[in-house]
Amino acid sequence: MKRSKLWAWITFGVAVAYFLVPLLATFEFSLRIRRGTYSLDAYASVFSDPRFQATFGYSLLVGLFAIIVGIFIVVPAAYFVRLRAPHLRPLIEFVTLLPLIIPPIILVFGYIRLYNTSSILPLTGSTFGTDILLVLAYVALALPYMYRAVDTGLRTIDVQTLTEAATILGANQMVILARVIFPNIIVAVLSGAFLTLAIVIGEFTIASLLNRPAFGPYLQNVGANRAFEPAALAVISFVITWGAMGMIQLLSRFAPKTAALTD
Amino acid sequence: MTDTSSLVTGSAAPVSTGATGSPRRNPLANFARSQLGAYLGVAPFLIFAVLFLLVPTLTLVAGAFVDDAGHFTFQNILDLGTPAILNSYWISIRVSAASAILGAVFGLIIALAVIRGRLPEGIRAAVLTFSGVASNFAGIPLAFAFLSTLGRLGLVTVILKTVFDFDMYKAGFNLLSFSGLTLTYLYFQIPLMILIIAPAIDGLKKEWSEAASTLGATKTQFWRYIGLPVLWPNLLGTVSLLFANAFGAIATAYALTGSSLNIVPILLYAQIRGDVLHNPGLGAALALGMIVITAFANVIYLVIRSRAERWLK
Amino acid sequence: MNLKKALAASTALVSVFAVAAPAFAQTDLTALYEAAKTEGQLTTIALPHDWCGYGAVIDGFKAKYPGITINELNPDAGSGDEIEAVKTSKGNAGPQSPDVIDVGLSFGPSAKADGLIQAYKVSTWDSIPDSAKDADGFWYGDYYGVLSFLVNTDIVSKVPTSWAELKASDYANSFALAGDPRAANQAISAVHAAGLATGAAAGADAAKAGLAFFADLNKASNFVPVIGKAAAVAQGTTPIVAAWDYNALAWRDGFAGNPKAEVVVPSDAVVAGVYVQAISAYAPHLNAAKLWMEYLYSDEGQTGWLAGYCHPIRFNDMVARKVVPQALLDKLPPADAYAKAVFPTLDEQAAAKTEITGQWDAVVGANVQ
Repeated sequence: MKRSKLWAWITFGVAVAYFLVPLLATFEFSLRIRRGTYSLDAYASVFSDPRFQATFGYSLLVGLFAIIVGIFIVVPAAYFVRLRAPHLRPLIEFVTLLPLIIPPIILVFGYIRLYNTSSILPLTGSTFGTDILLVLAYVALALPYMYRAVDTGLRTIDVQTLTEAATILGANQMVILARVIFPNIIVAVLSGAFLTLAIVIGEFTIASLLNRPAFGPYLQNVGANRAFEPAALAVISFVITWGAMGMIQLLSRFAPKTAALTD
Repeated sequence: MTDTSSLVTGSAAPVSTGATGSPRRNPLANFARSQLGAYLGVAPFLIFAVLFLLVPTLTLVAGAFVDDAGHFTFQNILDLGTPAILNSYWISIRVSAASAILGAVFGLIIALAVIRGRLPEGIRAAVLTFSGVASNFAGIPLAFAFLSTLGRLGLVTVILKTVFDFDMYKAGFNLLSFSGLTLTYLYFQIPLMILIIAPAIDGLKKEWSEAASTLGATKTQFWRYIGLPVLWPNLLGTVSLLFANAFGAIATAYALTGSSLNIVPILLYAQIRGDVLHNPGLGAALALGMIVITAFANVIYLVIRSRAERWLK
Repeated sequence: MNLKKALAASTALVSVFAVAAPAFAQTDLTALYEAAKTEGQLTTIALPHDWCGYGAVIDGFKAKYPGITINELNPDAGSGDEIEAVKTSKGNAGPQSPDVIDVGLSFGPSAKADGLIQAYKVSTWDSIPDSAKDADGFWYGDYYGVLSFLVNTDIVSKVPTSWAELKASDYANSFALAGDPRAANQAISAVHAAGLATGAAAGADAAKAGLAFFADLNKASNFVPVIGKAAAVAQGTTPIVAAWDYNALAWRDGFAGNPKAEVVVPSDAVVAGVYVQAISAYAPHLNAAKLWMEYLYSDEGQTGWLAGYCHPIRFNDMVARKVVPQALLDKLPPADAYAKAVFPTLDEQAAAKTEITGQWDAVVGANVQ
């Protein structure tokens, strides 16, 4: 028994080194902006850059809309597949895997060809249209994660009984979905939302090829032109990702309580 | 609309459960209405998938076989045969394969250590949480992190040089190399592997190893004849998923080197941006090549996963 | 045509028009500004803020003409990327369509031939040297500088002073171009300059020699396959980069002494490069584009470029009229470098461009291995 413990500890130690050293190094590098001494000037420089605020705000907004649209698309689909159309499940699950199969660069290349101003749906013809296209692209990117999260949420509640009870009380399908089902899976939906945010906030390929002033292209631009700010931005990004994932962990603690109410 | 919906309702009736159980005045009409609702509920999802996943991709696939004048041609596909483009596919495939295989191996070892290595209870949760974060810590910030670590002025490079008098860069190491890129990709590949394989390792039932040891099998024998064979399909499947994951990645490599790193997604990016291949038709053909390769990797994953699931139920 | 001579000679010619022009421009500009304000936006592409003082120039335009937002597309795009962006805007008049472009000299005539740009003559047109503009007004030179090396002296102890020296083993893993030689004029010009340094004739010959030079550099592992901008130099990814002197100087300033850096003009080839402005044939905001051009070619706009270490195209005219602040003149790179500078002609540059963009992958193929 002791031997097995030893190799496990060694493996764990090596893994910790591989994963933590880059984080420490990034933090250390971000402090080096002043010659010969450590300082937080790189962070001050980043936070006072108006483009940081503008692009971060833009990406946050786009991410928020992507979450909302994603919820409207995914929740009804997952609910009805579970309740009434289980034969559609393989199809839906295959579709949710598509964004993993189709790389983002292919997706955006297709969008540019398909939705330019000479097409039927000229989304790239205006700034607003391009913003919509970016939101929809992010909905697509987040589809696998959003669907998985919502489906897991639905599994923990008794969709069948809840729906029947509400039907007897005279509610129609949309009301059931909005007022009965949704509140019961809000935790799952939120964890899907935070995952979406984590994926979307620093996305580079699609935003840059659609030429929108998002956080990802800004990161790339700073990365090419500044020496120490990129490290500070990497630390900030890591904190954001950690925050989003931390929220999911936190939410999952509340999840069983909600599910218990429906039993 | 009504015609098709009733058609669909009819065919779907036997599958549907539960909803018919409650007493209603006109169960059939009610049922038909709810079935229509079901399809209306799924419709936005499917319409979205068609418009923003399927059609854009198919547009590119079709575009690969069309010349500037709009005529059918194989020329674009044939043009992929130039050494520079073949080389970029080859580098992409090698980096993706190396990071997928190494990621799977290291991920498996770490997952085994954490789950079956009798480490303190909290470590498992911490590792899984961290994996969730790290598997999403890809893209541009990851490139910054590795430049700060293993770049020429990175912490590790500097420490090796000043404390151990070992100059990695003089010794031939370069972050902008096959090994450097693979090392960087492992930062998100290993955690992804841990996340995917952890449930499978949990699925190795305690009873199996107990039964094995009761029958006199050693630990090695248990892994050789039971553990690995059960995990094997999962491992293979995950490798192909990791491969596709790395193959489509662009931001990390782009932030490391700009458009001069000749992997396929970056070549395609530079082509869309600046027609660097001096042949507009080639873009779609490049894209088609990528789709074929990632689709192939994912089909392997899906097939293997569906087989593996039988074991783990 | 010798661009250098022309740039020097233009001074005399120009002072004649300089007096009459402003009064005419003033009335014209008010109407143009009103029309541009109705459009409300200007879409630019490939204008890094530390390139030629563009950050301040853009701010100056915004301050002078409020009510027009500037939509800045990909600041790191190369000339080839800009041309491609115009091409794709043919069927797409959205926010991805640049109104104005700023490209390497040789990209001007080819864009005109492809029908991608449209004619417009700014009110200071006559003070632009003839050799640096299209007679029909399709493209017009904007500024120039010479190619230099930016060297991170924290890492490199022996600063290279010529292209030939770069092949030395001292510079293992140390040198990069500041752009993609398949699309960026700055990188194309550097390859051409490396060829000129070997003594090859300007044009296709020098381009071939330059490609061979980079192939050798790559084989010696001295070439780093990275787009070398300020960050790559400071972080040591590539401690030496070939860039226009104005960029190198601006990046050095940006380091603020950390790391220490030097800018050197290689002794074996002092090669100058001119960029040109043009308005896209598909410009969605045509009046804003014209107003932008008027601003760039006004004394104010030209001074803005000068503050970014560039030599604006109307430099001689402005010096003759004594409108350039002495402080800016003092900051400029030493004049003796410019005395020796070679301005490759349009034909030479076009030939070099075709050779380099087409053959880079095949001859050099600098890849990550």
